[in-house]
Amino acid sequence: MFDLIRRTAFVILLLPFLIGAAAAQDAEPQQAAVSTLVSEQVSALARLTARTDAVANTIAANAEDDAKLVDARLELEDILRETLAAGVAFRPRLSEINARLQELGPAPATGAEAAESELVSNERKALTAEKAEINVTLGKAEDLSVRVNGLINKIANLRRDLFTNLLTKRYSIRDMLSSQVVTDILNEGESFRQRVGASLRFAFRFKSQSLMLATVLAFGAAFIASFLGRRLFGRMVRRDPAVEQPSYISRLSVAFWSTLLPSVALIVFLALVSGLYQSYGVLNQDMAAYLDGLIGVIVIAFLVNRLSRSILSPDMPKWRLIAIEPAPARIIIWLVTALGLVVGLDGFAAIISDRLNSPLSTTIIKSLVAAVISGLLIVSVGQVKPFVDETGKSRPWPLWFRLVLFLLGFGSIIAAMAGFISLAQFISQQIVLTGTLVTTAYIGLLASRAISDEGGFAETAAGQWMKTDKGVDDAKLDQYGVLSSVIINVLLALLFVPLVLFQLRFQPGDIAAWLTKAANGFQIGTFSFSPLAILTGIGVFALGYFLTRYFQRWLDGTVMARGRVDPGVRNSIRTVVGYTGLAIAALISISAAGLDLSNLALVAGGLSLGIGFGLQNIVSNFVSGLILLAERPFKVGDWVEAGAISGTVRKISVRATEIETFQRQTVILPNSILINGAVGNWTHRNKLGRIEVPVNVVYASDPHKVRNALMDLTKAHPLVLRNPEPAVLFQGFSDTAMQFEVRAFVADVGTGGQVRNDLRFAVVDAFRREGIELAYTLRPPVAVVVEEKQQSGPVDAPPAEAKTKARPPRRRG
Amino acid sequence: MGRTPDMVKSILLAASLLALTGSAYAASAVNLDSEPRTITVTEGGSKQEIALGAGETVQFCANGCFVTMPNGDREALTGGETIEISGGVGRIK
Repeated sequence: MFDLIRRTAFVILLLPFLIGAAAAQDAEPQQAAVSTLVSEQVSALARLTARTDAVANTIAANAEDDAKLVDARLELEDILRETLAAGVAFRPRLSEINARLQELGPAPATGAEAAESELVSNERKALTAEKAEINVTLGKAEDLSVRVNGLINKIANLRRDLFTNLLTKRYSIRDMLSSQVVTDILNEGESFRQRVGASLRFAFRFKSQSLMLATVLAFGAAFIASFLGRRLFGRMVRRDPAVEQPSYISRLSVAFWSTLLPSVALIVFLALVSGLYQSYGVLNQDMAAYLDGLIGVIVIAFLVNRLSRSILSPDMPKWRLIAIEPAPARIIIWLVTALGLVVGLDGFAAIISDRLNSPLSTTIIKSLVAAVISGLLIVSVGQVKPFVDETGKSRPWPLWFRLVLFLLGFGSIIAAMAGFISLAQFISQQIVLTGTLVTTAYIGLLASRAISDEGGFAETAAGQWMKTDKGVDDAKLDQYGVLSSVIINVLLALLFVPLVLFQLRFQPGDIAAWLTKAANGFQIGTFSFSPLAILTGIGVFALGYFLTRYFQRWLDGTVMARGRVDPGVRNSIRTVVGYTGLAIAALISISAAGLDLSNLALVAGGLSLGIGFGLQNIVSNFVSGLILLAERPFKVGDWVEAGAISGTVRKISVRATEIETFQRQTVILPNSILINGAVGNWTHRNKLGRIEVPVNVVYASDPHKVRNALMDLTKAHPLVLRNPEPAVLFQGFSDTAMQFEVRAFVADVGTGGQVRNDLRFAVVDAFRREGIELAYTLRPPVAVVVEEKQQSGPVDAPPAEAKTKARPPRRRG
Repeated sequence: MGRTPDMVKSILLAASLLALTGSAYAASAVNLDSEPRTITVTEGGSKQEIALGAGETVQFCANGCFVTMPNGDREALTGGETIEISGGVGRIK
């Protein structure tokens, strides 16, 4: 449990290693020289057999050592792979031999008339002999693989037994409780003191320079790390006393980061100290082991203390995560820190006993004491009354929680007293270490859930920054919140699941084996599944996607924008490039995933049937979309009329086109309609457009005067084009009026409404000035009878005037 | 910026497509003869006889194995090969 640090580093190093290993496997050269092939593989198999023998011996010698067993299994799996590779190496030669034998044909029956030439029969003999040899060698490889698999199964059984033993092994405490034990322990302490003293004196006297250098380096690195950490994450871990009501999410994130960051910094610093001392040769092997043990104690105690402090926050109750009163919170922090310290020291003491070869009884007695103390500490936590009810009286933990603590605490004490020392140790270790890890991970999970809640991300520092500096809207922020919560969850799983598994006595080798298995694929029924291949495919596709988008943006924004390319063409090219890029990315990713495209052909065959029946509309729209992009009857921003729909084109995609009407309604029009029907485009080649304004004038007016007035005012309008010239048309005679029409051309048809409007105003103004009268139809006036509502109240009702005064009339507006 | 959901959708699509076609990893054997054939497969420490009816195809051996063909020839497979048995002779494609 003390090499937690090393194991963490191991996990981090594991992934690239695995990937590298997978790559190396593929690259293995397979063309060994044909003549020496058999002898080469025979000697390779001999080597592998020797390795297997060695591993079998290791297993026999270390049946009690879990870590060694796991290493042995990794070695065996490696041997298995190489055995298989040795077998596969024969394949080209075997197919050669088979092909040649087939060419030679079967040996003629004895006594056949046409005896074959000696050359042929010799060659056949030689080939058959070589094939037999290869077959024998392959048989040996097969036997070896069976044996190695048997050993792997044996290791699994051994490890299962080991764990059962650990929990059920019983020591006789009575035999060990004697005056001898006390002297043993005292002796152990004395020799430990002497050895450490001697090593330290040696280090100071002969290695003082290295010692100084390593210490200074470690401190320097720690200082830089803490300085950078403060600069980068300072805001995340600081509790601001000025904040009245810190939000749940900021409390969570402060608790999480203020546990994680200093702990990681401390672990890095201590690992650096240990590593530097070892690489400078300051410490001998014993001292290095002691130092690692001591580091373990410090890390455990610090982690537990830090975590409990950040959850309970007794100094700033506003920032606490669980509503426990400050005074009992302080007690709980002390108790759990002490528990961490005891568990850590127990492990440290075990290292000392191991190094000094002390008698078993001293180890057992020390562990007994540690188990009893930790049991008492756990029970004491259960005794604390952490809550306060409305009357201000202290309230204990909920009953179930107390019961669990008492059960664990007393259980550990009783188990230790009865001689089940390992079981008691296991209990207290799990409580401290697994408890710490699970609690930290749980806080992280809570935080990620809070972030993914509606509006949760906007409250975080990153969300605030995006909102104010980048102007990201709330809906986008919400999506980012979900995304970041997914990322946090994945990171938590990557970090904490292995740590908890180590804690539960799984070895790094176990996890390595699982990962290898996951990378190579496993089989469920007849369906075989290879996550690594699929992940590779997805990764390649994502890369292709981003490259396409990047290329698209570069082409559109840099090349085509500079080249003054027409926006419609730009849009078409961008869309086509996008789809082509995606198709290429999909194809590459499928082949990167190692998939057979013939499987895809099967799927495509099924799809084509579906297209025939159900998808023909979609496909027709799709093809129409391609035609639209190529032919470009309209482009984004054009004013089009298709059937009853008239509006501006907003987006042309492959299935449908978005048109925004002037009422700002977005109409999504399937592309096939746009291809098959008539589409009017006001702005196809140019934006020139004609506008008409009908004007009716009474017969009393002079039509020449009218025409001149209309012509003048039309020409005077700044948006009306001189060429083509505007015209005034005398269109006809109606019952009441002479009908004129003003026709004018404008450069941008979009401004037509405005121009028409201006012209009408100008017509009225000019006619008033000139005394021309506009025609209108006289309609007989409709008599509107407004009945006065008679007051039918009593006679002595107050007069109306008084009423209005009493209640002022309500004004509208 | 606004492309994230699109991207997620595309990746999901690609992943499902990959999962759909992802069965290319086991070795398979097909019997082209008109009579049943038996091959012996040693995989994971145990020997197993697999009987193949006429024209039948089986999948086996996800992580590498040794195979003995009906005529006694041996082969080592890494998983992913296709074996065709005709006239009792196994041939790796």
